[in-house]
Amino acid sequence: MDCSEFAQRLDDLLDGRLHALGRKAIEEHLARCPDCRRRQEHAVALMESLRRLAPPALHPGFIDQALWRATRPAAGASRSKWRPVLGMALAASLVLGVALGVFLATRPDPVQAVVLTIDRPETVRLMFNSAKPLKAATLSLALPENVELVGYGGRRGLSWQTDLREGGNLMQLPLVVRGATKEDLVASLSHGGSSKTFRLKIEIDNAGRSGM
Amino acid sequence: MSPYRRARPAESNFEDLLRPQVEYLYRLAWRFTGSVADAEDLVQDVLTKLFPRTQELLEIERLRPWLARVLYNQYVDSVRQRSRSPIVELVAGVEGEENPLDALPTAKDGPEANAERTGQRERILRALDRLNPEQRAVVAMHDVEGYSLEELETMLETPLGTLKSRLHRARQRLRALLPMEPFSVGERVKG
Repeated sequence: MDCSEFAQRLDDLLDGRLHALGRKAIEEHLARCPDCRRRQEHAVALMESLRRLAPPALHPGFIDQALWRATRPAAGASRSKWRPVLGMALAASLVLGVALGVFLATRPDPVQAVVLTIDRPETVRLMFNSAKPLKAATLSLALPENVELVGYGGRRGLSWQTDLREGGNLMQLPLVVRGATKEDLVASLSHGGSSKTFRLKIEIDNAGRSGM
Repeated sequence: MSPYRRARPAESNFEDLLRPQVEYLYRLAWRFTGSVADAEDLVQDVLTKLFPRTQELLEIERLRPWLARVLYNQYVDSVRQRSRSPIVELVAGVEGEENPLDALPTAKDGPEANAERTGQRERILRALDRLNPEQRAVVAMHDVEGYSLEELETMLETPLGTLKSRLHRARQRLRALLPMEPFSVGERVKG
């Protein structure tokens, strides 16, 4: 057995899928090839590391909440839109028809501009991260000229209350752009007299339009 | 199947069947996605889709592998769907100093994110992110959860050869992405 043959059989070795003869040939090769021995050790150690990778604990109440939502069609329909949102905030969210899920996501390479195609509705997902849970935070959106929230064509400004939980809070905005826009979409988050503002540049995909 | 169970409201049957499985589904979903949020979402989507099929669920003898397959399909679909949707992560734009909301960190400096970004765990998660969803799933289900390739062949209705090839490429990719030193047996023994 040479090193390339060993590389081809490594998976079978890792998975215990080798018959006695094959295993013996591999063992003989490993005994005389330190490079392949290191490869095998690396592969085994990597698998062990993968197995040790434990998920963070579920959020308390998730199981009850998830089952409840699944078995109530109306709640299920709004589930992916708004998660731990209470009272008036829930009502407001449903009226708005935008979506706020709650996430502890880690996403690489954050982008602060989106490219949309004129007259094509697309969902833009905005992530807010909170170091701690915030009750009754106010989220406001200021839409730039020529940008509409689907279903709310005439409205440039929207505001509503919601609860943010620790970690990421995802807001999904079904947007449609009607023409060139020079302004940014502005999302503001305020709580207890303080506020934070986020800006999102909206660029037009002219190629996408001509291709339609 | 007990007639009593069948006569109960669908909600009760569904909850009885699924409640013991949710944690498992979450764990598997997290292994697929590497994100608590995405994993919870995935599980919620699966539960919501399954509730109208409660009667069918009652007939399934080995529910867990069946659910794993539903979860896998949902995961692959959601990745494809997401890849068509623009994602924007807002980074805090600070207004004023000493603003209590400055405690709102970006995803990069949240406590959990920070922890995950450091050390081996973060490196492994990043490497897993580089796999395609099918590769990631086979690693999760075979190398981590311990399903055999033959079991996966049935569960995922995917030919054995395809699964072997996915696994082979996924492992190769992970080994290439993750340098040998921190994962070598010798290193771990010393540590």
